[in-house]
Amino acid sequence: MRTTWRANRIVFFLFCTLLCAGLITVSAAGAIGPVEGILAGPVSFLTGLFNDVALSSSALAAELAEIQTLRERNAELEAALAQFQAELVELREIASDYTRLTELAEYSSTREDLELLTADVIYYDPSSRIRTIVINVGTRDGIAAGMPVVSAGSLVGRVIQVSANAARVLLVTDESSYVSSRLQTSREEGSVVGLLTGNLRMIDIPLDAEVQEGDLVITSGLGGNFPTDLVIGQVSSVRQFEFELSQEAEVRSLVSFGTLEFVQVITSFQPIDISVFESQDDQP
Amino acid sequence: MRLTTTANVLSLPIMLLAAAIQASFVPQIRLLGGGPDLIFLLVLAWSINADLDSSVVWAFVGGIMIDLLSAAPTGSSVMGLLFLVFATSGIGGQVYQIGFTILVGLVMIGTLVQQVTFMMVISLAGFRVSWLEDFSYIIAPTMLYNLVLIWPVYWFVRRLQRRLDRRSIKS
Repeated sequence: MRTTWRANRIVFFLFCTLLCAGLITVSAAGAIGPVEGILAGPVSFLTGLFNDVALSSSALAAELAEIQTLRERNAELEAALAQFQAELVELREIASDYTRLTELAEYSSTREDLELLTADVIYYDPSSRIRTIVINVGTRDGIAAGMPVVSAGSLVGRVIQVSANAARVLLVTDESSYVSSRLQTSREEGSVVGLLTGNLRMIDIPLDAEVQEGDLVITSGLGGNFPTDLVIGQVSSVRQFEFELSQEAEVRSLVSFGTLEFVQVITSFQPIDISVFESQDDQP
Repeated sequence: MRLTTTANVLSLPIMLLAAAIQASFVPQIRLLGGGPDLIFLLVLAWSINADLDSSVVWAFVGGIMIDLLSAAPTGSSVMGLLFLVFATSGIGGQVYQIGFTILVGLVMIGTLVQQVTFMMVISLAGFRVSWLEDFSYIIAPTMLYNLVLIWPVYWFVRRLQRRLDRRSIKS
């Protein structure tokens, strides 16, 4: 009896492990995506409700802890506001002159070619190792995998999975994220990668490139995954090692990823498929 | 302790609630990159005093619930939980009393096994994993949180099991 019980437990363990491995395999292959979407519905809905409460509670707790600081900050802002109102009048005059001159020169400096769709953030990936968010727009709203996502003009990430009414966005702070970028001032190119800590690092910057703290880092468009000139962040520090072939810079994103509530999906951009060129390069 | 089908069915709403809390409130209280793993705690607390069949059900339900919210393939969390339940299921009936030392040991080893298994699975699925950095940034804080929260979770689950056990005896 004791031997039978042990044997059954081992067989049961092997059966469960194989079942689990099979589930992981079909899920990773995308074969049960529709089923996962249906099952995730009630879980996502409940999580979305809880997430709203969690964000509100978190913000309230932070505010309560900083009441005195907020009062001082309020006084400073009121003084600054009075000063800026005077400057605003002058700047409006300058803007008016600029508009007339650019119309004459038929020049536009704004990204009017991008179509944006605003979406709510439903929840964050519960795993600490995978940085994704789920937003409340999907294929019904014209969303497709690969579309870039921004917040207040700064890059948030890229859509990686889509269902009928939701989409998963891989954040730029995820370790798997890799964005071709350049420094706005010197136009030197590099790549921005995410770190386990949730920070950003720009790598593969040429050694002779001049990198300064405060430099804006923008998308370069190389690789075809993102449009050009989207702001990624600002250089916060530069790392240069004696025997390295390139330098690196820590980049501080302008997006507060911990408190994201709304994002915008760039629906007018389609990633460029360059895989056909890569397969041709492999041929003799 | 053999618990009824009711116990297995109860896993659905409990794990649903735990997964929702895990994905919403836990990210707000993370220490470095780690936070309490409610699914792991519930499965561990359940399996200590439940039979293997019931524990496996709770492991599958809990793991699938949390994986549905994650970019990781469905089943990634289940694998580590399976190792846990096969190691701990019924241990409560084999020792006189689940004391402080045993529970702390189960939490620490269980957290490590569950987290490492999850990392291996997502690594095979194509996600980038920083093994060394992960231990200090995620696993250690998670273990700390789990050591604190196991007590209220175990108390809650034990009360639930006793209530279900009384009902099954009466019926």
